[in-house]
Amino acid sequence: MSSIENDSAPPGAVAVYDEKQRSILRGELAGLVALTILALGGVIAVSMALTDWRAFQGFRAESAYNYAGIQQVDYVEYLRRNKQVLAQPSAEALQAYSAWQQRNPQTVNVQVLTQYLGPEYSSTAKVFEYMSKYFTPGVGQSCEYCHNLENFAAYDKPQKTTAKAMLIMQFELQNKWISTIPRPEGQPLYQLQCATCHYGQAQFWNSVDKNNPTLANLEKFGIAGGGNPTQYDMKHYGITLNGKPPASYEIVDDRLLAVRPDAKGEVNYFQVTATKDTPPGLNDTYRNQAAMYHMNVALNVGCDFCHYGGYFKSYVLEDGTFKWPKSQSRHMIGMIQDIAINWFPQMPKVDPARGDLAQPNCWMCHRGNVVPPGAYLPAASEVPQKVSDPQIRPLVDLSLPAPKLPLK
Amino acid sequence: MATEVYRESFERRTKTVRYIRLLEGLADTQVGPIYLGMWGALAFFSYLLCVFITAIGFGEQVGYNPIRFLRELPVLTLYPPPPSQGLRMAPLQEGGYWQLATLFLTLTLVFWTIRIWTRAVANGLRPMVPIAFSAALFLYAAIYIIHPIWVNSWNEAPPHGLRGILLWTNHFSVKYGNFYYNPFHMVSIFALLGSTVILAMHGATILATLAYGAHREIDEIEDSDEGTHRAQLLWRWVMGFNATAYSIHQWALGFATLVAVAGAIGVLLSGPVEPDWFQWGCRAGIVPGLQKACVP
Repeated sequence: MSSIENDSAPPGAVAVYDEKQRSILRGELAGLVALTILALGGVIAVSMALTDWRAFQGFRAESAYNYAGIQQVDYVEYLRRNKQVLAQPSAEALQAYSAWQQRNPQTVNVQVLTQYLGPEYSSTAKVFEYMSKYFTPGVGQSCEYCHNLENFAAYDKPQKTTAKAMLIMQFELQNKWISTIPRPEGQPLYQLQCATCHYGQAQFWNSVDKNNPTLANLEKFGIAGGGNPTQYDMKHYGITLNGKPPASYEIVDDRLLAVRPDAKGEVNYFQVTATKDTPPGLNDTYRNQAAMYHMNVALNVGCDFCHYGGYFKSYVLEDGTFKWPKSQSRHMIGMIQDIAINWFPQMPKVDPARGDLAQPNCWMCHRGNVVPPGAYLPAASEVPQKVSDPQIRPLVDLSLPAPKLPLK
Repeated sequence: MATEVYRESFERRTKTVRYIRLLEGLADTQVGPIYLGMWGALAFFSYLLCVFITAIGFGEQVGYNPIRFLRELPVLTLYPPPPSQGLRMAPLQEGGYWQLATLFLTLTLVFWTIRIWTRAVANGLRPMVPIAFSAALFLYAAIYIIHPIWVNSWNEAPPHGLRGILLWTNHFSVKYGNFYYNPFHMVSIFALLGSTVILAMHGATILATLAYGAHREIDEIEDSDEGTHRAQLLWRWVMGFNATAYSIHQWALGFATLVAVAGAIGVLLSGPVEPDWFQWGCRAGIVPGLQKACVP
């Protein structure tokens, strides 16, 4: 028997089909073709139906991270993509400045710039250079938006009072958070400027807009994409705000503000992975994921930009490579808390009808980029020094989280 | 004698069968007669109630607007009660709909299992199909009922809805430290892939014997064993061994059942026994190349 079984079938003994069998073969071939078309076509059709095609085309998940040489989108290019142009001082303002500078070659009542950047900012020309380089393009307004063109030193416009407070906040945040961010050797240290948050718009981040969760406002405040929770989700997770289910970004706010560093500076803003003491339920996981999706959108990156995909809790990859972005984002959440708790409540309002400043989040500065296009690499004379007596002080003492650094 | 009577009865009953032919010889299907009976009726009405409650819950979310319902169906979700409710009955809007829908879904599955059992016995068969179905039912119960009761919170159970179940899958894995390191999940996936291989091998082998009467199975058995013989010979030539026409189904059932049973055990142990499967992997030494990631 075995010797016969080891022989191949004689010619003509296989694949002789009658009409019924040929009919089955034709059916199977047709089925194979139909299933292939359905599978491929279905995947493409569903993907196109569910994806914002324009957003999809622009998406680039930066899981490969060049620590030493991050590519920054140019600020002017960013404005162009958003159909904005770089603002310049108006002709009228330039004329007024020229007359003012001739009368006052030394500054009159300039306080913050000299305090943080040094005595060379006692020169009116130097201050004008700084203002026209950072303020005008940053907030998209000419000098007269804040200044009385007859008297540049006057504080007769509320915009100037607000701008001064904002400038103090900018320097204080730079000194406390940006200068101390954990970073690998060689990574450049960017600087906060007006443009880093404003992107050519004077008033853009207010609670009136945020309390009106239209789709446009959701996108404006950096909550967009299929992974984010809907109001239905919030309702069924028992989360209400003023008796109504809150919009997605309020969940992000809730998570970003939820946890502070302990006495040792240790902090875990998003406790996702369970321990023996973790209470039951998946709601916390759900809320944390909502904040994580927000970070995906805000920085335009995938999860593995910060995380080791095999174990989200870890700060290192399987080969021991330290994930600096996870350490940095942990630090930056601290800055968001500082802004929300210590600075925004103190900022003078230009237009009270627009409500309070909205809760800051990652999107406010990043706008879909790893490095905010509105951040600057400063000249040596533009790096603020620490001051012991700032004109505005933080409301509470918010300690820095202990930095997460590679293990020696 | 009894066998002859039974065979006569079987032939009489199968005279009512109807064939559906699609694409010539593809996916030939026999239809009817269908038997409803008490358990079938109970399963049917219980399922109707489950669908009705789910539809009401979804409808409330879209203001009973059919256009919005269709447009937003992929994201409409019935959530289980929040953690604060524990295992209590929740108000309808806060998980009560989910509890009712889950109750009737569970009853449906139980009734359906009984229905298959009773029909198998009535047909003179061993109850292997309901036993196999019970494995899937065990996995369902582990996820929706046993695990939530063990941790004292319905909130750990999956919501009802297309997007909701996907989110739950992700969140459950993330919360318990990466499910891929759960050894029971590993076994379950091994069995899932094994089932797929076995099913594909079996299906392809039978199709390969078309020229020897695979489309006329009864005739083939009565007239000659050429098709079966050649199919088995193929695998002996290729692998050195083969399953018999009967044992291939034992393999298939065993692997398929293991998918559900191992998966259910993996779910049940998550939390009360092991809250972080990646750390379990570290302790067990099954991630030697990843030890650097073991220290959060």
